[in-house]
Amino acid sequence: MRIMLACCAGMSTSLVVAKMQEAAKKQGKQYKIWAVDQGQIEEELGNFDVLLLGPQVRHILRRVSKLVGDIAPIAIIESISYGRCDGEAVLKQAESLVGGE
Amino acid sequence: MSKLSERFEDVLLVVAEKVEDNKYLSSVKNAFTIFMPFIIIGSFATLFNALLCSPTTGLAKWIPALEKIKPAFTAINFSTMSFMTIPIIFLIAMQLAKHNKAPEYITGVVAVAAYISVIPEVVTVVIDKTSGTAVGIPGVALGAQGLFIGMILAILVTQLFSKLTKIDAIKIKMPASVPAGITTSFNSLIPIMITLIITAIAGNLFLNFTGMYVNDFIYKVVQAPLEVIFQSPIGIIAVVLISQLFWLLGIHGGLVISPIRNPLIAVAIAANVAAVSSGGVATQAVTYGFWLNFVVAGGAGITLSLIFAIFIFSKREDYKMIAKLSFLPGLCGISEPLVFGLPLVLNPTFAIPFVLNSGIATAIALFATKIGFMACNTVDTPFGVPVLIGPFIGHGLPGVVVQIIIFAVCTVTWAPFVLISNKQAKKEVVKEV
Repeated sequence: MRIMLACCAGMSTSLVVAKMQEAAKKQGKQYKIWAVDQGQIEEELGNFDVLLLGPQVRHILRRVSKLVGDIAPIAIIESISYGRCDGEAVLKQAESLVGGE
Repeated sequence: MSKLSERFEDVLLVVAEKVEDNKYLSSVKNAFTIFMPFIIIGSFATLFNALLCSPTTGLAKWIPALEKIKPAFTAINFSTMSFMTIPIIFLIAMQLAKHNKAPEYITGVVAVAAYISVIPEVVTVVIDKTSGTAVGIPGVALGAQGLFIGMILAILVTQLFSKLTKIDAIKIKMPASVPAGITTSFNSLIPIMITLIITAIAGNLFLNFTGMYVNDFIYKVVQAPLEVIFQSPIGIIAVVLISQLFWLLGIHGGLVISPIRNPLIAVAIAANVAAVSSGGVATQAVTYGFWLNFVVAGGAGITLSLIFAIFIFSKREDYKMIAKLSFLPGLCGISEPLVFGLPLVLNPTFAIPFVLNSGIATAIALFATKIGFMACNTVDTPFGVPVLIGPFIGHGLPGVVVQIIIFAVCTVTWAPFVLISNKQAKKEVVKEV
């Protein structure tokens, strides 16, 4: 599974990405997880199976939803697990999005 | 109270979404995001000039040959910062064309051509006290002073050109056997011609009726007043507080206000560099470096100081845990772990300092500039440079001192609210018992 996270400049989400990669590794899962700036989502279309937005850019959800269409599911990362860099919880959220398809 | 805060949240979220959905604002925002590295590099070229090529402050003191390459760094600065209007026009037109589903690159070139067609193609020169004109484009039209007319024109031209490319009647019909590439290139011919004729004639009429080139007019009437407002204490503190209100909802305030902030901070750093390189004094305080190193030092709302306040005063284990987790990101100006982990989002206990602290920090830094303690910067730093190092690169040692003062003052302003949160925790424990 390819999980892409987006926020402003991709810096704070990269903290979460590191924790998610750790969690995935622990569970023996081969996921590709990375973070980008919100402006780069368009260029990455088709490269991800699920897109997670940092809660601080939740106002872009409507625009991004139009952009991504049905290519991949999108969600706002649950804010407490985002703030506490809870990689496992965010990973679970990503999995449930794809599983629900 | 909860209803009121809900309504406040709804209104701000709608505003943020509107800004995000507005294709003009988001094209401007994206263009500046793409161009930001060039502005930083342009400002670093002036730093290299000072550190390497200057015979008084640089390495050239000992290695005189280094002075010879000064024109190279000056050229880098010109090609990025003093020329920014042209690439910005191209980028805005491309971004907007993407929205309009019009051909991107052609639109970018059309917008640049349209702009060049309305600005002066002669410069006034003075030789031996006699003034005359010579062929050339004045620097004011290429550099930051042309930004706002450039932005406006890029949007107008792109809208016109996108509409024209969608009219079938003006497309040149080709037999089906003609390769698609050739058809597209012919199809853009008439729209380009119409667009350029309209812009050039409009520019010409404007010049004839007002006696002023449109770029000079927009600079005087729109851009210069905006610059003054943005650089004034009331103006910039208002911008900062609005940005913080968005953060209080957990929305990236800097991102929301960037369509208006980014052109103005680009103008400011360019003006500073131009002033210093012509032997003057930089006067524009609010730049990108100023924003990163003082307004949002240690995270928007000066959240690094909240971490200090928690370390010193908090009796809550959950707060201490989050503060520890947030410390390293906080050093690089990343506040999200605290904002969402503590959380600060819609947290009435911390709302007052969270919104006001960046305003206080701005006031402190402006005051230090005003009394001449700290000079306006000519070197911008990118986001993510750690605290103390960032202001040192941008504003030198005085900048570091000002940042430390900001952290100290804001630790004090956070402190009473941390103490309140201690009491709240006690009450909660009592309730649970």
